[in-house]
Amino acid sequence: MNYGELLKLLAPESILALTLLLVLGADATFLSGRAPGLRRAVAASLTVAGCMGAIYWIFFFPIHGHLFSGVLVVDPLTQVTKQVLLLLTAATALLTLETAFTPHVGEYFGLQLLATLGFLFMVSSEDILTIFVALELASLSLYMLASFAKGNLASAEAGLKYFLYGGLASAFLLFGFSLLYGLTGETLLAKIAAKITTTPRDPLLVVAISMVLTGLGFKIAAVPFQLWAPDVYEGAPTPSAALIASGSKLASFFLLEKMMTIGLSSAVGSGAFHALAAGWVPMLAMLAGLSLIVGNLTALAQTSVKRLLAYSAIAHAGYALLGVIANSSQGFVALLFYVMTYGFTVLGAFGVVAVVERQTGSDRLEAFAGLSRRSPVLAGVLFVCLLSLAGIPPLAGFFGKFYLFAAILRAGAPSLGILWLVILAIALSAVSLFYYLQVLKQAFVREAPLELPFSVKPSTQLVLILLALCVILFGCAPDLLVSKLLLALKAAAPGLVF
Amino acid sequence: MESLFFYLFAALAVVCGILMVANPFSRNPVTSAMFMVLTMISLAGVFVLLHAYFLAAVQILVYAGAVMVLFLFVIMLLNLKEEEKRKPGWVRMGFGLVSAGLFAALLLRSVAAARNAPLETAAATVDGGVKPLGLLLFTEYPLPFEIMSILLLVGMVGVVVLSKKELK
Repeated sequence: MNYGELLKLLAPESILALTLLLVLGADATFLSGRAPGLRRAVAASLTVAGCMGAIYWIFFFPIHGHLFSGVLVVDPLTQVTKQVLLLLTAATALLTLETAFTPHVGEYFGLQLLATLGFLFMVSSEDILTIFVALELASLSLYMLASFAKGNLASAEAGLKYFLYGGLASAFLLFGFSLLYGLTGETLLAKIAAKITTTPRDPLLVVAISMVLTGLGFKIAAVPFQLWAPDVYEGAPTPSAALIASGSKLASFFLLEKMMTIGLSSAVGSGAFHALAAGWVPMLAMLAGLSLIVGNLTALAQTSVKRLLAYSAIAHAGYALLGVIANSSQGFVALLFYVMTYGFTVLGAFGVVAVVERQTGSDRLEAFAGLSRRSPVLAGVLFVCLLSLAGIPPLAGFFGKFYLFAAILRAGAPSLGILWLVILAIALSAVSLFYYLQVLKQAFVREAPLELPFSVKPSTQLVLILLALCVILFGCAPDLLVSKLLLALKAAAPGLVF
Repeated sequence: MESLFFYLFAALAVVCGILMVANPFSRNPVTSAMFMVLTMISLAGVFVLLHAYFLAAVQILVYAGAVMVLFLFVIMLLNLKEEEKRKPGWVRMGFGLVSAGLFAALLLRSVAAARNAPLETAAATVDGGVKPLGLLLFTEYPLPFEIMSILLLVGMVGVVVLSKKELK
């Protein structure tokens, strides 16, 4: 083992960790006592600089390797995912400038960086011990971020709920992992998979899989582990909710896909309507179906836009699960494309919500009335993001869903047994258009009693416009990202491509 | 002899665990905390039987010692009264019972399967002392070790932020 090699492979993470110390240090020393606006600006620019530095490093020094036979995996696919994760964090940090809910500026940005560090480690490990520690790093930071607005009762409630449910989910996950370890005596995903094939199918394996799915299902907010999501999205400070909805989702789905396709590759089962077989596919199919139904139907009745986004996130977890269920390289690529573009889209939507909430003091539907006249830029961004979430053709959300449906149908090609899930997803996708249009109707048709123009920071405008452009770009030319992901997957796991 | 001790410790752990969360005689949080100490100690006994001496020592020092003292402090500072009995609704009760029942069935089935085809129980050949543990930490698992240190930083920052009085 060579510590120099470890440091080289972990360079982006090290940059991020140094940035974190810099942010904390700068805020505690020569910025203490200064105006909060200045402190926020410095902390945000340091955070963005750190994220960009890490992205540049990955881009210009593409180094790959496996250390400790899989405890640390650095390959093209993890590198692309890490870059997107860093971009999402940088955008979140810039959107944070729009809010002023805490005097602890350095700690807030520091915890965003710490959560991102957790995401990066989650992505680049194939060892259940490391996966668990990385997941806890990300989760603990997110609990803190959710309860950061100390003057606000809803934020405290959000933090506590997230923490309690999250702690329970972690316990389930740890129990599942320990059962997997007990069954196989290995902690590396590939070795676990090799051991499972040799032993006869054990009911204990079913217990282990269902416990692992409970833990990870909580992270991706799939029904029935979604109870925390609406309260956390609504109560947490908006940038925290944005990070929970974008970066955390991407890292967790990447982890789930790896866990299932590598670690449990010999316990797949079948979710086809006429040929159910035990394994993780039928379990995930059930979670996906429930998430689609509950998420989309409950979102119809919401009057708070953040809660609406929470239920829409639950529904989108259902769509994204289709990519995992496909259990193929095409499914993997479709899943990553979907969750990445979803991250950009939902960040844009949360950015608009943050501005509206600061100016009107509420995130109710009525607060969005007359948005198109009060701030045409915000209304335009909201228009693009919500239509993309609904899956309207020239936008990224449409192609994401299209690829997912294609992947899952091709994976079950000869029998079409999984068609029931696809039909359900398409039908509920039509339903979802209704509640997204409710918001847009407020923004474009309704008139506000007092239509004063919103003042929006230039940095916020820039980020929101860039996010909306990304959504349009990946909608018009999805191949830009898809071909990159496919190449990366081929380079990362030649055995996985089929 | 060894299996006798195993059954003793396992039974103690389970009984104390049940008494910790559902004690029919007392609803005092301090009693629950005390039963938690007993659970921890019986688990440490199981660890000793597995030759994981270091883990057993840490279990008693950290969990039964330090963590429990913290728990008791918090309970005293919060001045908790006896917890009130709450009647859970029928729907909630039903869902809970059904899922717990299904889970118990799965577990029972796996126990039955293990009895029919006993796995070759590997005798505990691992030396769970400090030296092999340290070797593993610095050769195979330095990465999770490092991540843990960052995790501790999160805990520290979090506690400072949450517990600091807001000066307006």
